[in-house]
Amino acid sequence: MSDMEDRIAAYLAHRMPDARGIAVDDLSRIAGGSSQETFRFRAVWDEGDGPAERRLILRRAPPAGLVVAERDVEFSVYRALADSGVPVPRVYFMEMDDAWLERPFFIMAMAPGKPGHFWTSTDPFEGQAHEVGQRFWRHLGTLAAQDHAALGLTDLRNGTLGDGFWSAELRHWEALLDEHEAMTEPAVRGAIRWLRANPPSSPARPAIVHGDYRVGNFLFTPDGAISAVLDWEMCHVGDPLEDVAWAIDPMWTIESQFPLEDGLAAWETESGIAVDRVALDWWRLFACVKACAIWTTAAASFAAGRSRDMALAMTGVRGQSFHRTHLLALMADKGAMG
Amino acid sequence: MTLAIETAVRGVAEVLRDRVAPTLDDGYAIEAVRLSAMMLTMMANAADDAVVLRVAENGQLRALFGEAAGIVDDATLSARLEEAARSSDPGLRISELDRETDRLRRLLVALQIQLEAQADEQATILGQRIWRMLRDIEASRAPRR
Repeated sequence: MSDMEDRIAAYLAHRMPDARGIAVDDLSRIAGGSSQETFRFRAVWDEGDGPAERRLILRRAPPAGLVVAERDVEFSVYRALADSGVPVPRVYFMEMDDAWLERPFFIMAMAPGKPGHFWTSTDPFEGQAHEVGQRFWRHLGTLAAQDHAALGLTDLRNGTLGDGFWSAELRHWEALLDEHEAMTEPAVRGAIRWLRANPPSSPARPAIVHGDYRVGNFLFTPDGAISAVLDWEMCHVGDPLEDVAWAIDPMWTIESQFPLEDGLAAWETESGIAVDRVALDWWRLFACVKACAIWTTAAASFAAGRSRDMALAMTGVRGQSFHRTHLLALMADKGAMG
Repeated sequence: MTLAIETAVRGVAEVLRDRVAPTLDDGYAIEAVRLSAMMLTMMANAADDAVVLRVAENGQLRALFGEAAGIVDDATLSARLEEAARSSDPGLRISELDRETDRLRRLLVALQIQLEAQADEQATILGQRIWRMLRDIEASRAPRR
């Protein structure tokens, strides 16, 4: 890692001309975050009034990842939401020039806390499930209450659309399936036809949609606070129920730690939007299609040798099967199987 | 005793999980090795019946197409279904079987679209049967840990 530490130090020196003697150490890659490479490190330097030290995070675009995302989306969203009430890390530098670290990257503060060990523990929030659950839903409601245009986020996908979010998003994920699907999946294609034939009502208002709001993508602290909501690279503008449906997908729902109805009530209070249960049902099936598309791109990246991230290989196999099975159960509920 | 593919692969997974992972101290490497071991276990569990599952699915699809050919209103599609019903697997390599499964599944999607458009009683019943068949195929192909 020492070469990379040196290169990061050189970059910081370039961006911080008033800092002297910048050094970077303790660099390590963090597992997870398969759509970006994530590193933590420590930076120390001298300022006019004495020494300074920061623990920082560097997020670098991978050679290939889960989805094709606009590289500066996450940085732009972090910056726009800094004072919104949604906890996000402070961001410092965005760099698109490949000369520094081969690929674009950005640097942000390392937030305190940790993600819940959701798949390996029955108590992923270490006795703070109620507090974490409340905040999980409140923060999502706060996000839904934001005016993306006022925050300068009209460049996000669908940022200038007034309506038709369900159709735009369905087309987006269907196109990724068309491009990357190695084996035709009639169940997923059938669900897409059902979704298109049974559109949901329009949202009360357009909202900033995180795109991957779930356990694992936020950090919590010992007092049960959520210190940061992370992984915004799939952020776009759309129907806020898309995030609600994604959050309660059975692969990562926190319903066993915090009752769903309490969560939806907290979301309604913060967002000022009543949950349309019929529309939410539509978005739950949509979430399955979206998940299958994401896992398909993961499998394609690994199969083509563009990535050797084992998380991509695993989700490419297990994730697809899980979500097709769930999709088939939802279609059975809709009477597709008689 | 023959060292079967699945036995060898499962053994490699166990070595990675039980002997290699505990010696590492880099968090990213530990996770990569753990996931690699899980992946190898799934592959080992899928090796023995990989051909059987694919041959069975292709056979189910061809039998279905034979029935559907007499139900669909579209003559061109009906002819394609009859042709597919008479076809056979080009070989027993997994890659060959997968290509054939994809060809048959594409035709299945076309059939489903036609049945949804027809919407008469026979079409509806066949459409529901296809969904149940897809559920059963998914269950049979699910990765085993």
